Amino acid sequence: MITEAPLLDIKDLSVGLCAKNVAYDIVRNVGLTINHNEILALVGESGCGKSVTALSILQLQMSPPLFITSGSIVYDGRDLTKLSKSEMRSVRGSEIAMIFQDPMSSLDPMFTVGALLTSAAYAHQSVGKDVAEKMALEALADAGIEDPERRFNEYPFQLSGGVSQRVMIALALVNKPKLLIADEPTTALDVTVQAQILDRLKELSKNRGMSIMLITHNLGVVASVADRMAVMYAGEVVEMGAVSDVFDKPQHPYTTGLLGAVPRLGGAASDLTPISGRVPQPDELPIGCAFVDRCSRALVQCSTIRPILQVRGRAEVRCHNPVG
Amino acid sequence: MTAIVKQALLTFLLLMLSSLAVFAAIRLSGGDVTAARLPASATAEDRELFREQIGLNKPILVQYVNYLGKVVRGDLGNSLTNNAKISSLATEKIKNSLILGGAAIVMVFGVGIPLGMLAASRRNTWLDASISSVSVAGMAVPNFWLALLVVWLFSSTLGWFPSAGQGGFKYLVLPSLVLAAEGIALTVRMTRSAMLENLSQDFVRTLRASGLSESRIYFKHVLRNSLLPIISLAGLRVGQIVGYALVVETIFGWPGVGQILVNGVLRRDYPIVQFFSLVLVVVVILGNLAASAGYVLANPRLRK
Repeated sequence: MITEAPLLDIKDLSVGLCAKNVAYDIVRNVGLTINHNEILALVGESGCGKSVTALSILQLQMSPPLFITSGSIVYDGRDLTKLSKSEMRSVRGSEIAMIFQDPMSSLDPMFTVGALLTSAAYAHQSVGKDVAEKMALEALADAGIEDPERRFNEYPFQLSGGVSQRVMIALALVNKPKLLIADEPTTALDVTVQAQILDRLKELSKNRGMSIMLITHNLGVVASVADRMAVMYAGEVVEMGAVSDVFDKPQHPYTTGLLGAVPRLGGAASDLTPISGRVPQPDELPIGCAFVDRCSRALVQCSTIRPILQVRGRAEVRCHNPVG
Repeated sequence: MTAIVKQALLTFLLLMLSSLAVFAAIRLSGGDVTAARLPASATAEDRELFREQIGLNKPILVQYVNYLGKVVRGDLGNSLTNNAKISSLATEKIKNSLILGGAAIVMVFGVGIPLGMLAASRRNTWLDASISSVSVAGMAVPNFWLALLVVWLFSSTLGWFPSAGQGGFKYLVLPSLVLAAEGIALTVRMTRSAMLENLSQDFVRTLRASGLSESRIYFKHVLRNSLLPIISLAGLRVGQIVGYALVVETIFGWPGVGQILVNGVLRRDYPIVQFFSLVLVVVVILGNLAASAGYVLANPRLRK
């Protein structure tokens, strides 16, 4: 199991913003792996680069102004960054699918759910109308929609947020991908619906052996769903490991700060410790560690030498002076 | 059903009001109604007698009611200029104008939408810049001037198309082009901006993530979304073409409603003006109704 090559192997990925007068990386030297049959959570504050990282896997980042400036994204033995446009198109949806944060605006309002699902099927498989419709109805049922036949003929505006997100999931499932990237799939939804959607994703992962890359800023979601997690800060992965290890023994001061900022039931308000300061803008990053200005454990070398991600204990951490 | 009845009543009211407005306006705008029909040597008494004969000495409202009574009985009246029966003129004139206006409408959308799509897909290139600047020019240039320009270029200089008259496709090209010019320009710009706006919508990213090809996304999904605003303003395009038809038909000697109407106004030919201006009102109303119906049909939110 350990020797098996990961399903997705991102190495040293940098994504740069390149406009008229500016050029800087907003994702810097990110390394991530997702194994078969695994849920990896990518955690961080908004603007830390987690969505850009995810979008660049399928090369769906806004380009221009965003470009992959270095690194490789190896999926199933192929480097996705080297694929031609049409090769990339054939990967999207069939090998790696993606769902997004705001399901209501992410579905084309002019077409029925059925038309959207069948055209996703036609995009990858030369099947007849009957088969495509059957695939669509199956995907709707798999996504946990109770009345697939009815939803098939409905337009996106007739759906609630929760049902829209299930339709998005169905759209992702139609071609039976091996990896699902879910970019904050429950952020826009009610709490009860959130739990249902997350349960469904977890089930799908287990039943189909589908790996999921779950992007979220919600640590509760991470704890309940993911197997492994990667914490991102200012465009870098600062800590990565099994969820239980990271939660039990956070090593990077930023991770400890994140966990300290989560309210607990029965805890006093004074137990909450916010991280002081703010995330540096990508064009004003310090030379050393990106977290140095907010860090209570900073050493001299932290402001001059950029730490690298290295194995420490059971996790990997990018820090000169880790906790514990 | 109630919506249809309401629309029908509104349309009727609009027709009555506009007919009254035209009826009064042509009578209050001065000019001598007898000049066109009676010889220059006619005496003041003769002219007075003629006015009495056609009922011009009565109050306008009484004249209007009498006119309506005749129209209801199917009598549209005769031209004051040559005494021709209007009902026998109408078919030919309306048919000619529908050919010209129809050709213009087809060009507005058939040329405007593809050009707008082309400009949007080649955004910020020289092609986009040229299409956009030509369409700005198309909106800025008054059509009577454009008419003179194309006649000079394509007719006098190059000799490709006849400069005036009617008969065959060749005669249709220049007048319908001039008639459609502003509509084409507006449609190009609207299509371009709607396509670009929809291209940046979230749903496009979803379609890409599903593995749909760029051309499928562009020609099916983005286009379908972009057609809505274009359809919603199609009524305005019809109104514009109807308005410009007066100028264009006159310049190109196209024997349609616009031409006879302009001549009718110049000669104070009241029955001609009354009838043919109402024809234009009806066309504008029908155009707007068709546009509204098209908008409802094209928009799933309204259709359901």
